[in-house]
Amino acid sequence: MELIRLKGVSKNYKKNKILQDVNLMLEAGDVLGVIGQSGSGKTTLLNLLVGFIEPTEGEIVYYSKVEGKEKDLNENLHKIKKHFGFTPQHNSFYPKLTVKENLIHFGKLYKIDKKTLENNITSLLEFTKLSKHHNKLAEHLSGGMQKRLDISCSLVHKPKILVLDEPTADLDPILQKEILHLLEEVNKQGISIVIASHHLEHIEQICNKVAIVHKGRVHSHGLIEDIKKPFLKDHFTINVHSGKEKESVLEKLKNLQFKKIIDKGHKLIIYPEHVKDTMNGLLNIINDEGLHFFDMDVRKPTLNEVFEKIALDDSEPKEEEQ
Amino acid sequence: MRALYLITKKNLKILLRSKASALIIIFAPLLIILLLGLSYNNSEQFGLNIGVYSSSFTEDVDSFVTILEEEEFTITKYDALESCIDEVKRGTTHTCIVLPESLQISGNGQKEIIFHIDPSKVNIVWMIQETVKEKFNIKSQEISQDLAQDVLTRVVNTKTKITEKNAEVNALKEKTSSATSTTNSVKSSLSKLDLAAPLTTYDVAALSSLTSGMETAIKKIEQAITAVDSSNMTSSKVAIKKPLQDALEELGGTNVTSTSLGGIITSLQTDLNSAKEKLVAASSAVKSSNTNLAAVSSALSESSTTLDSVQAGLNEVIANIEGQKVTEAGTLVSPLTTKIETVSEEGTFLSYLFPAILVLVIMFSSLLLGTTLVMMEKNSPAFLRNFFLPIRKMTFIISTYLTNLILIIFQIVIILGISLFFLKDAWSSLPTVALILFIAASVFTFLGMLIGYIFISEETAVLASISLGSVLLFISGTILPLEGISVMLRKFTYFNPFVIAEKLIREVFIFNTSLKVIWLDLVILIGYALILFIIILILESILHKHLMHRFMRHHHRAQRQKGKKNKNDA
Repeated sequence: MELIRLKGVSKNYKKNKILQDVNLMLEAGDVLGVIGQSGSGKTTLLNLLVGFIEPTEGEIVYYSKVEGKEKDLNENLHKIKKHFGFTPQHNSFYPKLTVKENLIHFGKLYKIDKKTLENNITSLLEFTKLSKHHNKLAEHLSGGMQKRLDISCSLVHKPKILVLDEPTADLDPILQKEILHLLEEVNKQGISIVIASHHLEHIEQICNKVAIVHKGRVHSHGLIEDIKKPFLKDHFTINVHSGKEKESVLEKLKNLQFKKIIDKGHKLIIYPEHVKDTMNGLLNIINDEGLHFFDMDVRKPTLNEVFEKIALDDSEPKEEEQ
Repeated sequence: MRALYLITKKNLKILLRSKASALIIIFAPLLIILLLGLSYNNSEQFGLNIGVYSSSFTEDVDSFVTILEEEEFTITKYDALESCIDEVKRGTTHTCIVLPESLQISGNGQKEIIFHIDPSKVNIVWMIQETVKEKFNIKSQEISQDLAQDVLTRVVNTKTKITEKNAEVNALKEKTSSATSTTNSVKSSLSKLDLAAPLTTYDVAALSSLTSGMETAIKKIEQAITAVDSSNMTSSKVAIKKPLQDALEELGGTNVTSTSLGGIITSLQTDLNSAKEKLVAASSAVKSSNTNLAAVSSALSESSTTLDSVQAGLNEVIANIEGQKVTEAGTLVSPLTTKIETVSEEGTFLSYLFPAILVLVIMFSSLLLGTTLVMMEKNSPAFLRNFFLPIRKMTFIISTYLTNLILIIFQIVIILGISLFFLKDAWSSLPTVALILFIAASVFTFLGMLIGYIFISEETAVLASISLGSVLLFISGTILPLEGISVMLRKFTYFNPFVIAEKLIREVFIFNTSLKVIWLDLVILIGYALILFIIILILESILHKHLMHRFMRHHHRAQRQKGKKNKNDA
């Protein structure tokens, strides 16, 4: 079920075109990762998504489950914004209040009844492993705990969409893992998540969808697998011992359909006609002939690689022009 | 040295590139100086508002009032003394002057002029008193001069009259002297007259006997003639009668001579001659005396006329002197006396300064607290999160205001509590004072909040609040009297919330004025608070998204830099 959709959204600041013609959709249960280089417009996209800023062109619509109809986000912001939880890059709570006081403060302002709020806070504290620290001043918490508190503050009113801007920035790898795990758990509770991050491996780990923002445009968006498809490798590499083994492999490969084989000593780079068929043929040959491979590398591109490729492809003509 | 230069240059660049800081640091002092310069660059006399009350505004009172008006005092005439005094209490007029019906001095009584002043205006009360008193002293001198001139004119007139009459007196003196001399001469001439009777002793018996014999003979002759006439004789009658008549004639005209008679007669003749001579001399003397006495009489008559004239002159002099009604030296020297009366009970300086101190504390506390609270919220990490709360902006503004107000109320309670220790009679006015302070605190809180919303950095905003507070204080009359400000600018100072609040508290605290009287000023203060609240609402709605965006950008950038630093460190 669609939750929110951006229709041809553009955002300009004076003469600067920050974002152009963005079309995006978020469905219930999605974890959407927004990736892009610094200054590409990720934060602007998040700001548009949560209604901080209004689009110069286009519209953002929110699908109301209760009313069963779509509503313009900016026109109905006051009603809609309570369905959002937002965790910005920096911490967003009162440092001079305790963990519990922060949660109570924001929870009460969301007009949640006392009992529900108490339950929410108890489960959140347990969920974020902050129960033991609920009486500590927020400013006295560690970085990881502060981030967890921040996410808790965003979840205290049980939003439908949780938007996070660089949630793992400034955290050590262990804390990053903790936060990612926490987000996975949040998503399991049915909350849709939008994350902007530079850590593409994190995005790849927890997101089912991704939007790649590049130079003010959403270059591609959708399921990660679908995004990767155009960037799947058209070759695979086999590491072999030199000598007889290598020659034997080359001999057998001649029976398969491939475009070309590049011999790089211990490495054979094979460009097959059809990756799947060639792979199966190669495995049969190995099995039949009892050949011994030293190593074989056939892998899908990572999101990082996809992103790099997009970024590099886009920058190459410029360099040529230069 | 180069490092010094570079660091200084950097500091200046940073300061000037932050627009608000540059504005406050460079232009705020200039603005304050400009404001104060414009306000106090005034050599004119204090444009005082003076209320004048007189039971009857006669011509000379009016003329004096006109003189005061020409002296750049703004004069308001009152028909009732109470309203005149009330205006002083309200601060509309600086003093209420009670003038007598007339300033003319018509007797020995001095005319008293009463000044009703507000002693709570400690920094100006004496100035007002001296300035206005000076004008009255001039008038008093003027009147004194007129009175002295009148006295001198009378003296001169008296002198002229006396000099004039002195000549007449001299002439009178000469005439009297001449009359005396003439009288002496008459006296001498009369005293010389010999009017002594002759000492000769005449034999009056012989003369009597003779006279008697002759009278008897005449009678007998007349009887004989009568007898002859009555007789029948015809022929002899004539003959008889003739000798008888002759005898009668003879007895009648005959000189009797005898020895005695002859002597007597001689003596008589001598005496008669002597007497005749004396009488001639006397007659001459009397004649002469008569002439002299006539002259004396004439002179005396003239003297009498002169004396009448002198008497008339003296009467004029007396009348002239009696025309001088002022005979007391004190009245002559100081015909107008001034009396100072205070419109409130005499109190300590603390009680007079208490309203200003209260407002001062409330103003700075509210301004700074308002600014600080808004800045705290704006700069709080949680600022962004508030955007998602289903709470109206107005609720945030009101909650900031209420927070401020709670703190201010706490301060008010402390201040008023302490003040009761010193000002024990202030109990009755405390509720109204607290109400005014509450409204004033609201106005200043909203002002402080407005500054908080306008400025970006907390330091600049606090500096702006202090600057604003200082300007409001400077043009409040608490430090420098407002009466020193040019009249045009002074009109604006009356809209200064500090001035309004201080005035209200003074009226309630010192004069126990009821709310019914001061409601208009209270409404103005409430109006200020409402307008400021609306401005804040508008400003907040305009600036909110900009603030959010700025906040996001600022934190995003900071986070990015932090990330880069971490990477580099790694």
